[in-house]
Amino acid sequence: MLIDGVEGDPAMLNPNDIESVSILKDASSAAIYGARGTFGVVLITTKNADKDKTSITYSGSFTSEKPVSTPDIVDDGYTYASMFYTAYNAWNNYSATPAKKNKTQAFSTSWLDDFKARKAAGNTKNYEVVNGQYVYYGNENYYKALYKKYTFSQDHNLSINGNTGKMDYYLSGRIYDYGGLFKYNTDTYKSYNLRAKESLQVTDWLKITNNMDYSNMTYHNPANVGEGGSIWRNIADEGHPSSPIFNQDGSLTYSAAYTVGDFIYGKNGMDTNNRVFKNTTSFIASFLKNQMHVNGDFTYRTTDNNVTTKRVPVPYSTQEGVITYLRNDLNDIKENTQRYDYLAANLYTDYETDIAEKHHMKVMIGYNYEQQKYKSLSVQRNGLLTENVENINLALGQTITTSGEYSKWRTAGGFTRVNYSFADRYLFEFDGRYDGSSKFPSNQQWAFFPSASVGWRVSQEPFWHVNDNMLSNLKIRASFGSLGNGNVSPYSYMELLSINSGTRILNGTLNNYTSAPSVLPDNLTWEKATTANIGLDFGMLKNHLLFNGDFYVRKTKNMYTVGPTLPDVFGASSPKGNYADMITRGFEISINYSNKFTLGGKPFKYEIKGTLSDYLSKIDKYNNLTGNLDDYYKGETLGTIWGYHIEGLFKDQADIDSHASQKLIKSSSNGTIYPGDLKYADLDNSNTIDYGTNTLSSHGDLKKIGNTTPRFSYSMNLSANWNNFFFSAFFQGIGHQDWYPSSECIFWGQYNRPYNNIPKWQLKNIYSESNPNAYLPRYAGYNASMKSTVNDRYLQNVAYLRLKNLQFGYNIPKQVLARWKIQNLRLYVSGENLFCLSPLYKWTKDIDVANIYGLDNDLTSGTSGDGQNYPLMKSLSLGLSVTF
Amino acid sequence: MKKIIYSLLVVCTFLVSCSLSEEPQASVTAKSIFGTESGLKAYSYSFYNMLPDGSSAYDQDAMADYGAVNSINSFIRKGAYSAQTSSGWDWTDLRNINYFIKNCTNENVSESVRNNYIGIAKFFRAWFYYKMVVRFGNVPWVDKPLSVDDEALYGKRDSRSLVMRHVVEDLDYACANITESASDGSLVSKWAAYALKSRVCLFEGTFEKYHTELALTDSAGTYLQEAADAAKTLMNQSSYKLYTAKGSSSSYRTLFTSDAPVTTEVILAVVFSADASVFSSANWWWTSSTYGPRWSMTRKFVNTFLNIDGTPFTDNSNYKTMGFYDECQNRDARLAQTIRTPGYKRDGAYAAPNFTGCTYTGYQPIKLCLDPLSYDNGAYNTNSMPLIRYAEVLLNYAEAKAELGTLTDDDWANTIGALRSRAGITGGLSSKPTKVDTYLQTNYFPNISDPAILEIRRERAIELSLEGFRFTDLIRWKVGELMTSTWDGIYVPALNEPIDLDHDGTYDVVFYKGTKPSDVPSGCWAINVDGTTTTTLSEGDHGTIQYFLNSDDRIWYSDGRQYYYPIPATAIVKNQELEQNPGW
Repeated sequence: MLIDGVEGDPAMLNPNDIESVSILKDASSAAIYGARGTFGVVLITTKNADKDKTSITYSGSFTSEKPVSTPDIVDDGYTYASMFYTAYNAWNNYSATPAKKNKTQAFSTSWLDDFKARKAAGNTKNYEVVNGQYVYYGNENYYKALYKKYTFSQDHNLSINGNTGKMDYYLSGRIYDYGGLFKYNTDTYKSYNLRAKESLQVTDWLKITNNMDYSNMTYHNPANVGEGGSIWRNIADEGHPSSPIFNQDGSLTYSAAYTVGDFIYGKNGMDTNNRVFKNTTSFIASFLKNQMHVNGDFTYRTTDNNVTTKRVPVPYSTQEGVITYLRNDLNDIKENTQRYDYLAANLYTDYETDIAEKHHMKVMIGYNYEQQKYKSLSVQRNGLLTENVENINLALGQTITTSGEYSKWRTAGGFTRVNYSFADRYLFEFDGRYDGSSKFPSNQQWAFFPSASVGWRVSQEPFWHVNDNMLSNLKIRASFGSLGNGNVSPYSYMELLSINSGTRILNGTLNNYTSAPSVLPDNLTWEKATTANIGLDFGMLKNHLLFNGDFYVRKTKNMYTVGPTLPDVFGASSPKGNYADMITRGFEISINYSNKFTLGGKPFKYEIKGTLSDYLSKIDKYNNLTGNLDDYYKGETLGTIWGYHIEGLFKDQADIDSHASQKLIKSSSNGTIYPGDLKYADLDNSNTIDYGTNTLSSHGDLKKIGNTTPRFSYSMNLSANWNNFFFSAFFQGIGHQDWYPSSECIFWGQYNRPYNNIPKWQLKNIYSESNPNAYLPRYAGYNASMKSTVNDRYLQNVAYLRLKNLQFGYNIPKQVLARWKIQNLRLYVSGENLFCLSPLYKWTKDIDVANIYGLDNDLTSGTSGDGQNYPLMKSLSLGLSVTF
Repeated sequence: MKKIIYSLLVVCTFLVSCSLSEEPQASVTAKSIFGTESGLKAYSYSFYNMLPDGSSAYDQDAMADYGAVNSINSFIRKGAYSAQTSSGWDWTDLRNINYFIKNCTNENVSESVRNNYIGIAKFFRAWFYYKMVVRFGNVPWVDKPLSVDDEALYGKRDSRSLVMRHVVEDLDYACANITESASDGSLVSKWAAYALKSRVCLFEGTFEKYHTELALTDSAGTYLQEAADAAKTLMNQSSYKLYTAKGSSSSYRTLFTSDAPVTTEVILAVVFSADASVFSSANWWWTSSTYGPRWSMTRKFVNTFLNIDGTPFTDNSNYKTMGFYDECQNRDARLAQTIRTPGYKRDGAYAAPNFTGCTYTGYQPIKLCLDPLSYDNGAYNTNSMPLIRYAEVLLNYAEAKAELGTLTDDDWANTIGALRSRAGITGGLSSKPTKVDTYLQTNYFPNISDPAILEIRRERAIELSLEGFRFTDLIRWKVGELMTSTWDGIYVPALNEPIDLDHDGTYDVVFYKGTKPSDVPSGCWAINVDGTTTTTLSEGDHGTIQYFLNSDDRIWYSDGRQYYYPIPATAIVKNQELEQNPGW
């Protein structure tokens, strides 16, 4: 991701500063951008000053947002509790009564009976006091209590640009404020940007530009101390509908303290402040009537990230008048600062000339150097003076932990590009890079990466007699090249012992300890990606229709990954090295149709743009001798899902007895199978349902049931304007993608943990004698036969089509504006993520297809997502932009 | 013009040929660690990660013959365990130790300091291999960090004799070289090495003696003698003794409920601290109805606790029909410190065995738990857990000598006698027993006729109960069939009669068949024993509680395969030379 030629983070960029975004895909066009361009480059260019006049522009918008979907759960306390009892009892072979719902609410069959009686009598009081203790009969919905109905955000941008002959300038500033989604302890987000870009024509052959930008972001992320992790996981585990959130005296209940109550108490969370300051100074010198240029630029960027994390115990009450604290053992503040200092310098020269009219040549040669230094410091201390303390100076406890990190890397390289074209018909390009990186051992630091491409503009050929209106600008292109990817962590080739914080009390305190280092890789060098692509571009119908298509094959060699599997006696993971190869084949097509006609005397312009792309990767080389299916293996199509086939549900005991033994897959505590349980297919006729040795050669009853790769991603963009009105709509989607919900997914409801919330969609789909072919089997919790055993019955297709953006607006006519000396005034209404269709929604809308992967990495580790992450937001904005 | 191009090229080549090397600053090289004593100490702290921690220090006896649980460990369930589900073949800790021993050669540190830390490393290597041999039998012996192409990676398993001989050599080195004083009980000292040697040698000696199919009975005697010698050295030369400061009614339990290890007797312990937020979940596991397996002691085992006068409880003619209150009177003081007995209080209120959500049999352990209720329901325990203590050394000594046939009356008085005296027992303290207790022999060890060995085994089971020794003891005595013992509980005289277990005035439990009686007092838990749940009574409408009869499929295979765990199938796939244990 390059912003004005220097790597940057688009999240910190002011979107109003963007002039254009282009994507370079084949090896040759990415070559100039070095070792990070291996898999393509996104080039973002910021605005330059307007050549003609000075102007001041203000643009702003006001947006209302809400989550695309919120889990729709059963919030009737009695239904929830009685299904909890069934699920728990069923898992325990109908012989156990739970005493508690997880940790925070008691359970007994007599309480359940009382609840039923109260419901029948219409008693809606949600608690009683028995022997001083609270007994709850609630009907609460923790998800509804968590989110606001709507949240608002606004953004304001002011930019000034113009030129004074020799100097032109562009200044802009922006404020963005997001109100936060949570009702309590809300997650506010604010960002500020400032940019000053000036260029000065010092002499008629030398131009100097300076581009400075500063951005600052602050974010508050509320947290739970009860069990850590994210609020969504905590609601799944402790957000029991039968327990209200507040007691009648206003204190929090035990269930609330683990979940939304912590947010209501409002003292736990993480505050992040990130600041980026970047300055690029560059010059262009032109000689020989603009045939030769010398360009250079120097960038300095510093990034400061600060995170303050605070954890204090949460008060709750289970006895009338008695306040207890949750997590009395936690009472600390942690300050973490990280600083990145980045430097980049480029110097290159290019020379362009025409020889004998038909030959055009351009040669470029240059040099690039980058370095980054990273340093971080983390301090944590407990014993906060009060729960309102915000500064570590008021932490007075005895447990002080400190830690630090450091890394530095440098890369340097020379690059060259030669372009030659003959009569504008035959185009050749050759690129070469010679790169070195400090991340590799000194004898393997440097490598050479060449690439070449050719193009043939068929429509320029003398034999081309096709009418321009039919087919124009036909161009066939091909390219071939290799680029290196040096993206490993620094110091990987050194035998280093790391210092870790101990978690045991030894000699009275926690101590830091060190242990054996990981085994050194025996060679470590650049991973190389070689791409070959062939492309076709043409226009039709007087260039109203434009077509671009590419087909490519990319071979990535020497991927940095694990070594050959060694016997366990080795005692460590096999040393990593350049051991894997992968091949990716794919295509991309984009079609663009634009036209206009006259409507009511004014032109109506419209454009339809569509894209379609797909790819599949296959592993050519990987160290997995045994063919273990839990790891990558040679010949694997990346993303393959192995799982069992389900024949249906067991009808009756005779059905169970005549079927193969399913002892390894438990749907009850002692392994007994009951009618209504899932019937797994015995594909290898071994009379047992098992996974063999879980290898390619012996996989028992497992088979390939799907692939997690998103296939056939497509998009469509419709836009039109007429008489100062403009309209655009953007659709985007995936044709096919498989996903198996992982064990903690909210998809399973109480089939996972009996005390989880029940998704409403399950109610009609559960097996019973009157519903013997239901989608969901016999109701039993902790059900390993569903949540921990991948099978094709619950494999979901998460293909989708989403209306991502819809915009409608009006430009106030210039004649009206001229009176107030306004150049331009534009009003618009736009909506984002307005609707989405997916086969997944046939069963449940609780999880949006965008939420199946990814977790909040500040609060938890792992990647499974499963709906337990920040929801995708649907929004409606009102905006205007006025230029003076 | 040309000048510009040339100078640019020169500049480029100059810059391009510069060297790109960076040194880390937040990590260290081996040289800095092994060149200072503090580096060696920091490395040695990593070995302690092999010891149990806050989530495992208290549940080491989860799979034992004398505890009824609500979920049977798959190792002893019919058809539920195989090479595919096996685990424990993990060698990362060994590599960590071997790497240390190999590199601890830097002359900057004095030899005695280096040898101290190598001794500590060898202690942990012995600990590692002891656990591996107990679990798998024959295992490969590896004493250096292997390289990627070392052919030892693909070698066969070495015989247990070879491995255990090396283990004893490692422990001898540790005994001779460790200078660490371990004043607070959390660090390894040379006495820990002596104690571990007595434990390891006793294991190997008795294992070889009773597993006659191995044909190693000749070397059994050597190991037993080494066990006795190591224990004797510790008994004579160290200052450890049994802790008796709180009298017979609470000294024993204090060892397990103190925050700071009771270093009078405790040689090595896992320590916790509220200040540092390091906790164990002992109370949560032992008192929760969902977090732990509701481990309940069986009556068969409780019967082996002696009367306070030293006579067997089972000598009473009516022991079989004694109710809970009566059977707890005048018993070995350790009974009241191991399980809830009448008079036990929590936070000032009487706490009878809790049938509602905790115990199945009525014998609910308290030994490793803290009394205040605030410790339940989470990881809040701060009491340290002893791993090696003096009492075990005494038991090792007595058993080794008894197995050798050289146990004297003096030995008896100094070991079993002292332990019983601490437990308040008054009789049988000074000389070896002469009478065989038929209950113990019939129900536990039918092949043992030496009364001393029987009594030593009784004492060991009671003294070290819940501390993680039981399954290993059953393995080495070759009495694995005990794992399928009936799980029985308190005696219930009649149905529909509420029982006040601890005579505190409130009824605690009532047993019924079919329909629950309508007059159940409040606070009294009703249990249906008609056979549709997990509990019945031995005579139908009265008798001892019988638990888990319905779907119990515990098995102890007659081919004795369960004396070893199977090598995990994945390990054999990676190294075909590893042969599987017989029967698996």
